[in-house]
Amino acid sequence: MLSLLRLSSIYTRASNLTFGGGDPTMAALQNELVARGGWLTPEQYGLVYALARITPGTNMLAFCAGSAWVLKGWPGALLAVLGASVPAALAVVLLTVGYQAFRHNPHAMSAIAGTLAAAVGMMAVSAWQLARPQMRRGKPAVRAVVLVAGAAMAGFGPRVSPIVLLGLAAAIGLFWRAPEKA
Amino acid sequence: MNAVLLYLLLLKASCTAFNGMAAIPIVRHDLVEHRHVLTDRQLNAAVAAARTAPGPNGLWMVSAGYFVAGVPGACAGWLAAVTPAFLIVVMLRYLGARADRPAVKSAIQCVTLAAAGLVVDAAIPLARDAITGWATLAIAAGAALVLLSTRAAPVWVILAAALAGWLLA
Repeated sequence: MLSLLRLSSIYTRASNLTFGGGDPTMAALQNELVARGGWLTPEQYGLVYALARITPGTNMLAFCAGSAWVLKGWPGALLAVLGASVPAALAVVLLTVGYQAFRHNPHAMSAIAGTLAAAVGMMAVSAWQLARPQMRRGKPAVRAVVLVAGAAMAGFGPRVSPIVLLGLAAAIGLFWRAPEKA
Repeated sequence: MNAVLLYLLLLKASCTAFNGMAAIPIVRHDLVEHRHVLTDRQLNAAVAAARTAPGPNGLWMVSAGYFVAGVPGACAGWLAAVTPAFLIVVMLRYLGARADRPAVKSAIQCVTLAAAGLVVDAAIPLARDAITGWATLAIAAGAALVLLSTRAAPVWVILAAALAGWLLA
């Protein structure tokens, strides 16, 4: 069972040790909560992820509030948002005060470059882990490939808002059902 | 500027934008152009500070608040950035009660798949920025392999990547 202490520590680590904004953090949380912990199903993760995209404000903080609420109710949601934002906010204040000094420190910058590269790898794994449960042979795999590729390709064409895209995917899902697992 | 008014102005921006960064033009309009309590250079530094720091980029509001009103301003900025996050609980409550119907289940599956595509999309500009040579490419591939093949916690992968970035530079 996931305790509130463990939950706070997971969100605090995932947010405050990940550079590069919200997406890599959500990928790290997916790894912790879905792949390693098994506390959330990929469908629950997908639902919270999609709703976080359509919640006003910072998507990643909405994701933290929503996923922690699913796991541990309101206390979980509050602790997750506090843990995910307070240490980073303190770092932002410190950086605001001393940004110039930090920017010209080559050691700090090359370490950060390493973490940014790792974030890219982490996001690739995240996409794979989200799609994998739907990648069953036959019709489900066709539907999965069409939707993943369609959503990814939409980013290259004329700018479609993610909200429209996710809404479209939901509408497709209402009609195009994959047979249940045998 | 009074921290409560600052909170309300920043909250207006964070509640009307669907992404932390999309609130910037609204804040610029209010605080830079209208009230002259923030400069463009400060706004840029705020965004840079949030990008350099770990955590969500939306926390640039903390830095902007600090420029406007010191520590109380930073607190107002933090509160404005986190407040809208809790709206998701209302949406989850509504949808959660209907998640077992086959049509809703199928819709959620499709949304999950589209979300995987959006993650790929979000990773592409990040990859262009972060993968600058063989060393960073190796770190990205190494991180993916470790995460796929072991149960290592992401925090260790990130710390190892920072060490590798420093050693390989």
